[in-house]
Amino acid sequence: MSFTPLRLKRRWALAASVVTIAALTVLTGCSGSSSDASSTGDTATPVAGGTLKLAFWDDQQGCIDPNQVYWIESRSIDRQIADSLTDQDPDTGKIVPWLATSWTTNDNATQFTFTLRDGVTFSDGEKFDATAVKTALDATYALGAKSLLGVSYLAGYDSTTVIDPTHVQVNFKTPNAAFLQATSTTTLAILAPKTYQETPEARCAGAIIGSGAFTLDNYTAATSAHLTKRADYAWPSSLVKNQGAAYLDAIDVTYIKEDSVRNGELSSGQIDIAWPRLPISDADQQVLKAAGDTIETRALPGISYVLTSNITGNKPLSDPLVRQALQKAIDRPTYASTVFWADYPVVKSPVESTTPFATDESSLLAFDLDGAKALLDQAGWAVGPDGYRYKNGQKLTLDEPLTTSGAGDQLLQDQLKQAGIDLTLDVVTTAQYTQKTAAGDYDLVGTYYTRADPSVLGSVFDQALTKAPTAVNSQDAATAQAISADFAKGLQTTDDTQRAAAYADLQKTLITAGVTFPLYERLQVSAISPKVHGFAFTSEAFLRANDIWLEQ
Amino acid sequence: MYARYVSGRVLQAVLVLWAAYTVTFIVLYLLPSDPVQLLLAAGNVDVTQVSPDQLASLKHQYGLDQPVYVQYFTQLFNFVTGNFGESISKNVPVTQLLGQRLPSTLALGASAVALAIVLGVGTASLAVFARVKWLKVALSRLPSIGVSLPPFFVGLLLIQVFAFQLRWFPATGDKGPQSLVLPSIMMAIPTAALLAQVLTRSLEDALDEPYVVTARAKGLSRSVIQWKHAFRNAALPALTLLGLLLGATLTEAVVAETVFTRNGIGELAQESVLAQDIPVVQAIVVMAAALFVVVNLVIDLIYPLLDPRIVHGQRVT
Repeated sequence: MSFTPLRLKRRWALAASVVTIAALTVLTGCSGSSSDASSTGDTATPVAGGTLKLAFWDDQQGCIDPNQVYWIESRSIDRQIADSLTDQDPDTGKIVPWLATSWTTNDNATQFTFTLRDGVTFSDGEKFDATAVKTALDATYALGAKSLLGVSYLAGYDSTTVIDPTHVQVNFKTPNAAFLQATSTTTLAILAPKTYQETPEARCAGAIIGSGAFTLDNYTAATSAHLTKRADYAWPSSLVKNQGAAYLDAIDVTYIKEDSVRNGELSSGQIDIAWPRLPISDADQQVLKAAGDTIETRALPGISYVLTSNITGNKPLSDPLVRQALQKAIDRPTYASTVFWADYPVVKSPVESTTPFATDESSLLAFDLDGAKALLDQAGWAVGPDGYRYKNGQKLTLDEPLTTSGAGDQLLQDQLKQAGIDLTLDVVTTAQYTQKTAAGDYDLVGTYYTRADPSVLGSVFDQALTKAPTAVNSQDAATAQAISADFAKGLQTTDDTQRAAAYADLQKTLITAGVTFPLYERLQVSAISPKVHGFAFTSEAFLRANDIWLEQ
Repeated sequence: MYARYVSGRVLQAVLVLWAAYTVTFIVLYLLPSDPVQLLLAAGNVDVTQVSPDQLASLKHQYGLDQPVYVQYFTQLFNFVTGNFGESISKNVPVTQLLGQRLPSTLALGASAVALAIVLGVGTASLAVFARVKWLKVALSRLPSIGVSLPPFFVGLLLIQVFAFQLRWFPATGDKGPQSLVLPSIMMAIPTAALLAQVLTRSLEDALDEPYVVTARAKGLSRSVIQWKHAFRNAALPALTLLGLLLGATLTEAVVAETVFTRNGIGELAQESVLAQDIPVVQAIVVMAAALFVVVNLVIDLIYPLLDPRIVHGQRVT
């Protein structure tokens, strides 16, 4: 019998929920990565029936509408309810047919024409056709700022034209080469036209009808959700093995905030899948494995966990030398192996290594304490008697507002201290956090954002797209111009070589200009009971329940 | 005499409620955040993307463009008439939220208090009644241990042993009476311990009183003396304490509901404070104050029944 260590762990993404620069929170996800207990080797014959009991850590946004929600756990639920025009292969990042059987794109990425699958219905019996696609895209675009992700996914959206019931054309005013990937996300999932007659608030609260393998029976924010299967489902993407109705009768979702409790519920058989946000610690993984549970991991593509600078006014980071020194003072390999575990991947770029067009910028992110010290000396910050650096009697202090602080933050604080930088971990409530970041009252602020396309960086750093503090406060005019130009280049063409060049340039600029300081890669780590078979992550590292069956 | 006593107590209760409301209003009003900004952030809307016109209309919609005193009296009037407004972070009426969350917390609170009374009175009575020296000492030391145990630790320990190891009770959730057992025990322990501590002391004092000597001399049995004579007199301090502890149920529920993943008022309070969801926090604070006031009012009204000297003695001011 297992005995999970009693431990209260920090709840780090707490911050993420209410932030104005909510860009931070958004975990999309996708693209190939390891899965150390993959079910691909499962040869047993699936059995239909049973209810899958799934426990997430929290539901702070309290919204279930796929078009509006950015909260990753809600999107895992949405993936079972709502289908998208396309799907993305988790291993290759390739876009494959789903509700659209084929598509064409013009050269400058302003026009996308989709051929739609026939015979698809929503769970209320309505037929899925070109008009439904138009209704959904128009309504998602109309959500404006209410759909944090939709805003960037549909950047430059002009209109959708119904050609005939099975052909639809989506037009953009400005190029949006990332749109095709966007059609594979839950954010641009196509809901039944009737859904869009509800208010955005009602949709958030659960008034949504999709064409997925499951239907949403009820959803109570932060408490529970119940899904039942659609017996007549027959249109999954080619990435799903089970081409018919789901094996599971139902899915029961609960939210358990305490890590030790959630893990204990799993090892004592009261839930089937434990799905936290923060990677399950090495010690907990050992305990769970000893109890027979398996661990599934997948790197979340998109923006790595990064700290973003505030270079405005007379703040210390307004000096490029200090930003370069900070970049060198962070020991990333030690961070990964200490905060997580020995072979945890080390961050290599502002985007996760699993994101298409990610480059390996390890050399720019190398730990170089002497180099950092030399740069700070050069910038006029001299070491004082207490080991910290001073200039004109002022201490080199960097203020980082957080809602909770954990081992990783303290490790970073210690690493920076070696270079004479005083990192202040300013723990505040979520409300104060919103206030402070919006007012630019910080030197560094943590950010992450998941989407399997490098254009995701634009939502956080491109001043032409967002007025978020992470974009506005982190760059001078010249850098901002260079960054916006790269983003525009990346979206203007569907030619992969040109996109790759633009995004490679962008990743370098973000590091060398000290806009952002990558800290660690984010892994989705989920623990699965031995009676669960056919577990699969989507490209976005969400749950895909179509193939799951339970040992009876 | 009794009527005067009651009206005085009721008036006091109303004053306390009004003060609780006003203090909360002032504290929340002084917080440095802008409710409209929080409102937008909660709906994940970037405030920089909202036009000044929209901001103004939002402020108007929530009455935030009016002078403070107008806001205060409008809200006070709404409150008195049962309109608690709308939650900023959850976009639903506060009454609806409270309605969803209250039953769970009430059930938990009631079972925890019942258990605390049984445990507290039981321990105290046994400690006093016991004749074996070591048992007496052990029982009278028990409350100190109970008071010193951190509740969240007890909660996690209960989960480990009774939910994960023995699998007798569920560790989380709010499904049926069996899910009440563990959180009730966790909440009852500190309350029971305090109760037992006070009751043991006053029972011991009461047993030294001359009327007990008289009762003994009359040849009454130990249990009759303890229960009929001593207990009634010793119960008063414990009753006062019980009133205070009952009022604190809501505070304890914050920890219990977090550890046991129950979606009750305590959990709602914690979330709302973090998100500075002013209408919800205000409603919960006033509700907690109301609970406190009502419980203590009831206890004040019970006093004279236990000890008529309270009414006939000095006047209540």
